[in-house]
Order: sequence, then structure tokens, then C-alpha cells
Amino acid sequence: MNAISAVITHRELLWNLAARELKLRYRGSALGFLWSVLIPLFMALIYVIFLRILGGRGVPLADIIIGVFAWQYTVQCVNAGLSSITGSANLVKKVAFPRIILPLSATLANTITYAMSLIVQFPLVAILFHTTGQHFNPWIALLPIVMVVHIMFNLALALFLAGINVIIRDAQHLVGILLSAWFFVSPVMYNMDFVIAHVGDHPWAPKLFLLNPLTVIINAYRSVITADVPFQWELASYVSLALIGAFFAFSYWLFKRLQKDFADLL
Amino acid sequence: MSTPAIEVENLGKSYRLRGIAKSSLRDILVHGWKKQQTEAFWALRDVSFTVPRGSSVGVVGPNGSGKSSLLGLIAGTITPTTGTVKTHGTISSLLELGAGFHPDLSGRENVFLNAAILGIPREDIARRMDHIIEFSGLRDFIDMPVKSYSSGMYVRLGFAVAVEMNPEILLVDEVLAVGDLAFQMKCLDRIRDFQKRGKTILLVTHDLTTVEQFCDDVKLIHQGHLVAQGDPSDVILTYLKTYMARIGHLNVEEHGTREVEFADVRLLDENGKEATTFTTGRTMDIEIHYRAKQPMDQVVFGFSIKTGNGFFIYGTNTQIMNVPVPTLSGDGVVRLKIEPLSLMEGKYFLSLAIHSWDHTVHYHRREDWYPFAVKSESPAHGIFQLPCKWQIN
Repeated sequence: MNAISAVITHRELLWNLAARELKLRYRGSALGFLWSVLIPLFMALIYVIFLRILGGRGVPLADIIIGVFAWQYTVQCVNAGLSSITGSANLVKKVAFPRIILPLSATLANTITYAMSLIVQFPLVAILFHTTGQHFNPWIALLPIVMVVHIMFNLALALFLAGINVIIRDAQHLVGILLSAWFFVSPVMYNMDFVIAHVGDHPWAPKLFLLNPLTVIINAYRSVITADVPFQWELASYVSLALIGAFFAFSYWLFKRLQKDFADLL
Repeated sequence: MSTPAIEVENLGKSYRLRGIAKSSLRDILVHGWKKQQTEAFWALRDVSFTVPRGSSVGVVGPNGSGKSSLLGLIAGTITPTTGTVKTHGTISSLLELGAGFHPDLSGRENVFLNAAILGIPREDIARRMDHIIEFSGLRDFIDMPVKSYSSGMYVRLGFAVAVEMNPEILLVDEVLAVGDLAFQMKCLDRIRDFQKRGKTILLVTHDLTTVEQFCDDVKLIHQGHLVAQGDPSDVILTYLKTYMARIGHLNVEEHGTREVEFADVRLLDENGKEATTFTTGRTMDIEIHYRAKQPMDQVVFGFSIKTGNGFFIYGTNTQIMNVPVPTLSGDGVVRLKIEPLSLMEGKYFLSLAIHSWDHTVHYHRREDWYPFAVKSESPAHGIFQLPCKWQIN
């Protein structure tokens, strides 16, 4: 609770740091914010082509676009969170303010970018739906709820990694490897239909996929956006959602515990 | 009267040596989590004091004595290992000039960012923007990225923002060491201004003159312990005498063949009492107890005096002054009387030497070994009192 009040009293700092992050990201580049949309778009195109060649099975481009945008958002939060304390050593050592502001502002900046990229994503998805005859789901009204869960998960990752990276500097290298592994076990460039079609002989395999919180989040995005894409309302999904809550609580606790030593270790 | 501004009780800060060296995954795999907390280095230990509201306190001590840790603990950036720090009132420090400045952002953008870091409301800064730009003297550069600034410009902009804070407790750490003379003057003016408004100030610096000018109380810290506190002149002198000379902050050295050596040296005032503070225009008596290990002929005694910052003022010896020195053997006393002492207020260092007639053999030299202070009863300035007279027609 006191963290919330501390954040409220320091909200100006939070905004300023997030604004700095955003300003710096696009400063001096001609395309600026467009890159935040172009990169996941190009990635989506690459995945769709390769999947067709390698997998021999098509996945709707709209699904891949939704998946890649969501994945990019998480990756950005992981990377920004990882360096949020170590990259601000100067600040942490010299000024007393709630440390949680740093991973929080890093997450906030990426959330703003993500929200803006969604504005570009929807017309694209609409065009794709038009060509394939798909429709938007009226449940798209629930999109903010999916986003809240996603934001919470990303913030938990940022808090966890921000603290851990101060104590163990190996974290930043490990995270790079883990991210590539995570990418392949998450339905970013494929969807659940693809999984079921490939490992359908083992009924437990899709459930294993669902234990990955990011799978559930991406599935939820696709379900609320696209008509007739069902959400897997089953135990594994609930467990995954519970995991997000537990991970958030744990990350917050860990960060609070580690933060008193930050100034000493930087 | 009211509650003190700062209360420090049994304050201690230890650093795990392994922790400082940053643990790696390998360490954890090899040693486990527990094993790591073995060696501790106490940067600060059992420090207790209170700072009354409205007072100005100086913190002095050799490098690495724990001064900055103390300030960090009071500022709240570092967590104490033992004990507590209680502060009453808003606290700000001038130790973060330009902290959080980002090289790629313009001066103006950094002002807003820096203000947010220091907790100054945005409206206040927006309203005072012109004043800040004026104060920093960077009008032509304010919209350029700060990476193109010189380090002096950087600090000036940081300072211009920092002075917009209105804390009840101000922590100052070596700010005065950066920037040119004009900037230092501005800093000092600002600190004086704070004093006038009854704010509490904690000042960490190596500039002892500043400490003496500004503070009502000085804390001397050595190896993490609070070893002396109280009246600035007394504490500063204790500091100079006990630590500076030994630790080699100054160019202190002792060498010689020791065929004749200093057994004891006493600095006496006009009353014949051993002293460390002398008065301009009075007497300074230096009593040199020597010991000659064998009978020595044609020995020369010399002395010189330097200012606290190493400026050579005067030096002479028995040879130059044609003072006959008999053959020395065993123990004896040589007296050097400086009368009147024409040094003005300040800190000085006395060097003594015993050497051979042709300067080829140094029996015993003690460079800058004896610090002393001079107080002046006149408001005249300078380091040396020149005999002078006015004649008005």
C-alpha cells in the first residue's frame, strides 16, 4: 500500500522518466514512432512466409500480427526492466526516491508505445479480415481487461529482472537466451490450432502450452479480437492466470527486499 | 528548543566485500547464497549525534573515512546496517548536481527531468524557467543537447535547478570542488542564504577554510568513527595534527640519517604554554629538543613555514643567520622565537631540519610536520602582516 502512495506522490517523476524514455527512443530517427509498428510488421511477414515453407501449414496473418505485437511489448518490457536500475546507477546512488519508479516508468513507456501501435494494428487487422472473410468479435470490448493482465505480467517481469540484475549481473545474458526459447514455446508465429494440429496425438501437449502465461495472454487477445476463435476455458488457463498473480506478488516482494542494497551494489 | 533536525543513533554501515565486487552466478553456484556474507567492511560504525534545527555542521575527515556514506545514509540513498537516522523536515542534497541528466536531451528538457527527480513541482519550474536559464548563464545553449556542454556548463545547469528546491535540511557534498571561482562564489552565497533563512545545513568538504567560515559545529570522522566534534577551529586543528600529517594528504615526510634527531618539539605561545593556535602580532616559541648520538660539529638548524595549501612563505637557518652552533652531544634544547608573529589568520605548516654545514647530509628533516593555526585580532586580509603606516596630508 505504501508503494502505491509513494508512486502517487512521485507521479510527476514517473511521467518524466517515461517521457524521457519515449523521447530518446525516437530522437534523431526519421521514421520515429513508425519503427515501433514497422518492426513487428516485418517480423510478422517473415514468420508467415517461413512458417508456410517449413510448417507447410498456414496461420492467418492477422493472428501472427496480433501475436507479434504482444510479444514485442513483453520483450521491450523485459529489456527495459532489466536495465532500469543498473542503467540508472547515478540516480539510484545519489537521489532518494522510491526505486520502484524506475521499472514502473520503463514499463509505462513501453505500454504507451504498445497502445499506440495497437491503433495502427487494428486497421491492418480489419483489412486482413476483409480479405479472408473473418470478422471482429463483439467481445473486443473486453480488450482492456486482457491488456490489464498483460501489463501486470510485464510489470512483474520488469520488477523481477530489475532487482535480480543488480544482484547477479549474469541475468542480462541469461535473459537473452531464455527469450529466444520462450519465443518458440509461445504462440507468437503460430496459434493454438497449429499446436493442436501438430501435437494432436498427445492431448496433454496443448495444456502444457497453456501453462505459459504468455500463451494465455496471446490467446486471449486473439479470442477477443477475432470472431469464432475460442478461448481455452480450461484448468491450465486458470492455472496460468493464477501464476501471473502469484508472480506479480513475488516480484513485488523480491524487489522490495532487494532495493535497500541497490545503492551499495551499483 | 524544538526537535533536532537530524538525529543519528548508533549508525553503522557495513559493506560486504564480496557484495562490492558484485556476485556472479558462478559465485552463487560455487558458494551458495549464505557463504557470501563473510567479510564485512565497516564504512561507518557507532556514530551518534544530533544536529539542532538551523545549525550548520561540517563533516571532515581523510578520504575514505566514511563522510559520503554518512551523507548518503542521512539522505536516504543508503540503508543503514545498524542504528537509525531520523530527519525532521524535507531534505535535499546538493550532491546530485545534474544527476539524471541525459546527454541526448536538451538543457531545457533536462531541467524538467532533473526537477522531477528532485521533487520540484513542474509548475514551479515552468514559472521559474527564465530565472534558471539566467542563473546558469546558458541562454544560448539551453535547447542544445547537454552532451555538447562542457562539464562546467553541466554543473552550472544542475546547480541552477537544485537551488530552486526549498528544503529544510540541505546536504552539501564537495559541490564546491567543481566549477570555477565565480561558480563557487554563487554556491557559497546560496549556502549563506540558506543559513539566513534558518535552514539546517550539513556540509562535507575538504576545504577546511569553508568549514571554518560556515559551520558552528564540526564532526571529524576517521575510519568510520566519529572521533571529534565541536568548535570548528579545535576540531580542524585536531584533524590536521592527528590525521593529515600522518596519512599524507599533504606532502608530509620525514627522513634523515638521524645522527642528530628531533627528540621532542613544542610550540609555545606568548605565555610559554604549549599551543596549536597563535595570535598575529604576538609570540611563537619553538622549543626543539634534539638528541645527538655522537658528538657532531658544524650542525645547521633550519625551519620553514608554508600555508595550508602549500604556499611557501618563509624559511631560514642558523647558517644564513650566522648563529654559531657548538659541537652537539647528547640531549639539548634549541629555541626559535618568532616575534612578532606576522602571519595572518589561517592554517600553516612548520617544517624543521637539522643538516650538515654543506647541506650534503640531512640528519633529520620533518616536512610540514607541525600544523598550527593563527588567529588575527584585526579584520585586515592576507597571509602576512606587513608593517605599514598611513600618512594623510
